[in-house]
Amino acid sequence: MSASGNKMNCDEYKEAIAADPSAPSDEVAGHVANCESCSAYLAEMQALDDKIARALNIEVPELKIPDLPPIEDGNVTNLPFARKSKLPTWIAVAASFALAAIIGVQFIDTGPVGEYSLADEILAHIDHEPGALRVTDVAVSDERFASVVNPSVGRMDRDVGLITYAQSCVIHGKTIPHLIIQGKEGPITLLLMPDEMVEGASIIDGEGVNGVILPVGNGSIAIIGEREENLAEIEQKVINSVEWSI
Amino acid sequence: MNRNDADRKRRARFDRVVSIFHQDMYRYAAWLCRDPGIAEEVVQEALLRAWKSLDALRDDEAAKPWLLTIVRRENARYFERKRLETVDIDNLSPAQSAMLAEKEDTELEDMRQAIFRLEDDYREPLVLQVLMGHSTREIAELMGMQQGAVLTRLHRARHKLKDEMEKEAAA
Repeated sequence: MSASGNKMNCDEYKEAIAADPSAPSDEVAGHVANCESCSAYLAEMQALDDKIARALNIEVPELKIPDLPPIEDGNVTNLPFARKSKLPTWIAVAASFALAAIIGVQFIDTGPVGEYSLADEILAHIDHEPGALRVTDVAVSDERFASVVNPSVGRMDRDVGLITYAQSCVIHGKTIPHLIIQGKEGPITLLLMPDEMVEGASIIDGEGVNGVILPVGNGSIAIIGEREENLAEIEQKVINSVEWSI
Repeated sequence: MNRNDADRKRRARFDRVVSIFHQDMYRYAAWLCRDPGIAEEVVQEALLRAWKSLDALRDDEAAKPWLLTIVRRENARYFERKRLETVDIDNLSPAQSAMLAEKEDTELEDMRQAIFRLEDDYREPLVLQVLMGHSTREIAELMGMQQGAVLTRLHRARHKLKDEMEKEAAA
């Protein structure tokens, strides 16, 4: 079946074959068994793939392991932030007041107790979704944005910055919007977590990146950028732009 | 287990994982950045990062996509730092030429050049599928895309290569 639910024609079968000649679906295989043209096309694409595979198989230089530093706490990537929050108190307080009118007051706590696993998961998630961190001036479409920041999450003004990535991702077992806006120093990750209540603002301190988890109503927002990025400028804008659905 | 034992065990695990997947890491990096010298740098940085975050790899069965993800990110970091110019196929460095060369098989060399010329958006999913054996779902996850978009790029990539090879054959 095609994406529209109609029966596929040979052109559509050939598109499917060209997308993955080595593993045609049962439906494609069933059609190919009874269609001379598509059968020949499959053989042609598989032959092409053999050549592609040989061409990609370039010579590899000898493995050179770099000098590996001893593993101490300070060398471990994704280190949970085991120190007091470096978030300036005025940012946290300002953020809270800005939100209070819309969402409700949250108290800012500089201690990260109880949020190690959330910060860890956020950093690990960013590490495992590097495709998001592209420097680009191409904004995501309104449709894409609306499908990710959907009414079940709440609403967000798009003028918070150039939003270049929007994906629904799972953090702490909950599907949440993962957005990227382009900052001065590189892409900035925003994770809108409407159901992830935190007790206070806290720092995310990863390798080469810095960030913060801010309490926002009954949820929280994580903002993570390059180490040199001045996140204070963006935090307020982000907080003001978001309103959770009730 | 004392600290030394733990360190030795960690190092042994790292060596084992890296020795298995080093070739994949290098080839992926080389086809991403299209420069063997840069690929070596990217892999070195990726190895360092993998070493530091090895404890985040909970299951060695997942080591390959984990390492490739690190390579992809290091490649992106490299290009963000360096802001390199687009590669000009007619003006390759000696190292780039050597990467593509296949004196005994001109058809293979033509194919390498055709892949080299492919836009990044087409080349990367093709490398992940054909060379790394990733499914389209895995490619979509790695590249942060919808699976449908991956399928479109893959069939377009093959059509472009097919056209290029037919042009070469006719020339």
